[in-house]
Amino acid sequence: MAKTEGFFELQDIRKEYALRRGLLQRLRGGAPRVAAVDGVSLSIERGAIFGLVGESGCGKSTLAQIIVRLIEPTAGKVVYRGADVARLKAEEQRTFRHAVQMVFQDTGSSLNPRKRIRRVLAEALAARSVTGAAAEGEIASLMHQVGLDAMLLRRFPHELSGGQRQRVGIARALAMKPEVLVADEPVSALDVSLQGQIINLLSDLNRELGLTIILISHDLAVVARVCTQIAVMNAGKIVERGAPRQVLFHPTDPYTRMLIASVPRGLAGRSRRQGLGPAAVDGAAAPEDERQAAAD
Amino acid sequence: MNRLRRLVHFFGGPAGFAGGCIAGLLLLSSIFAPLVAPYDPLAVNILDKLLEPDETHWMGTDQSGRDVLSRVIWGSRASLAVAGFAVVIGVTFGVAIGLFATWVRGGWLEQAIMRVLEAVSSIPLLIWAIALVGIFGVRDVQWGPLTISSELKLMVLLGLLYIPTLARLTYISALAEVASNYVAARRLQGVGELRILFSDVLPNCLSPVIVQATLMLAIGIIVEAAVSFVGLGVQPPTPSWGNMLSNGRNYLISGEWWLSVFPGAAISLTVVAFNLLGDGLRDRFDPRHSTTMGYAT
Repeated sequence: MAKTEGFFELQDIRKEYALRRGLLQRLRGGAPRVAAVDGVSLSIERGAIFGLVGESGCGKSTLAQIIVRLIEPTAGKVVYRGADVARLKAEEQRTFRHAVQMVFQDTGSSLNPRKRIRRVLAEALAARSVTGAAAEGEIASLMHQVGLDAMLLRRFPHELSGGQRQRVGIARALAMKPEVLVADEPVSALDVSLQGQIINLLSDLNRELGLTIILISHDLAVVARVCTQIAVMNAGKIVERGAPRQVLFHPTDPYTRMLIASVPRGLAGRSRRQGLGPAAVDGAAAPEDERQAAAD
Repeated sequence: MNRLRRLVHFFGGPAGFAGGCIAGLLLLSSIFAPLVAPYDPLAVNILDKLLEPDETHWMGTDQSGRDVLSRVIWGSRASLAVAGFAVVIGVTFGVAIGLFATWVRGGWLEQAIMRVLEAVSSIPLLIWAIALVGIFGVRDVQWGPLTISSELKLMVLLGLLYIPTLARLTYISALAEVASNYVAARRLQGVGELRILFSDVLPNCLSPVIVQATLMLAIGIIVEAAVSFVGLGVQPPTPSWGNMLSNGRNYLISGEWWLSVFPGAAISLTVVAFNLLGDGLRDRFDPRHSTTMGYAT
């Protein structure tokens, strides 16, 4: 079922963890194992915003870490531009590292508390061998790109708001000139008013840079609004996939139905702005007031 | 005024500043002891023995007629040197071992290192001290061109015994930092694990280490006093606060209080000064206490 030619593919990915038992049992290899990701295959098109939905603990964060290669899968292949990433040569490894970046959920721990914002971005650029005046120029344009004032470069992370920190996290990822951006619950730690701004920013980056985005969330409403493709994950498996409209209005899997039913439709503001109405699914432009808020 | 304020900020607040001032004065007086001390600390004058503090001998004299003030000033050299070098040894190797254990985490080597550290720290200091004296004796040991004095033995022993605590402290904070997202982001930039350890993880682990190091400096001074009983550390007639204190103990009942009170006060002052300094420095090096505008109060 996995296509041979694809931009980014996961083929039958499996990740197991040994349950923590006694030392002896672990050494003998007799400890029971649990699969956090249980045979996931996905194909992601270039330039797509791919949504991965599921409740907490379903293995979507583990899958995110496998996609960016922070952890290695127990079994299965990650294929990027037709090449198995586990078999890349050292030089290609580096290219892959830079090409696939990540935005984290917890904005508090995603930035080193000791480093001013300028240093965070300068170090990212230095990893790509961009230094000096070229780096200065690129830092300025990165800040502009994510909608932050250059004044903030002098600040420490704790002097920024959660939304600003998340924008810095996105700028740091963009500094690597990535092709794929994995956003693991990028808005769940933010106020509802900020969530829309960050999601719009990701959507803009997708449109302007052709950046492929893998958006991971437990919130169907957020994912439905911007994604071109979505997959629903439950207990380490993909239970349903397709276009957002199809998955939301004609769910075939009982778990997906349950997930859809759990979205609070009754909240008027929410359903109008981020809810499951047809306008939201079509990815309609954000309301004016959000644009306004993003500017300050 | 503004310069003073910035100096106070450098020490992390008024308390840290006070600690820094006292510690600085102590250091200066021990370095310039020959100039500061009014008498020769070793000059015996039996006629003037056990004099109460007065205007000629501000802290009185001991059973051999030696000036207590001069001995307190000279004694700071031995006490601060033993405690200071022990902390330097402990911090250097402790932090290095803690980071190394973090680097090899997940393997048998990590487990081996941590278990050995626990084994070492489970034996009390006095037992080690007695064992060391049992092996090397009380007198100086000639080892090739090196003379290993009793003080040096104690310095190294104390330093070695400080290592497990500092190593574990570093290791525990480093493990927490290594799991954080900013470290993950550095990995995604293709930065090597060792470089991440030194440039990102280490600076974030140092605050608890600094606090612990200042406490250990204080402990070192007291321990130096405790183990001189078994023949380690500074031996008479060379003065140290520790051996002055243990000498003064013999005269407490007979009423010569100045023999123990003044070295005791010197120890307390030093301990308080270094603790204040350590607390101040911890605040100073925590970026959450500082802003781009200045330092938060």
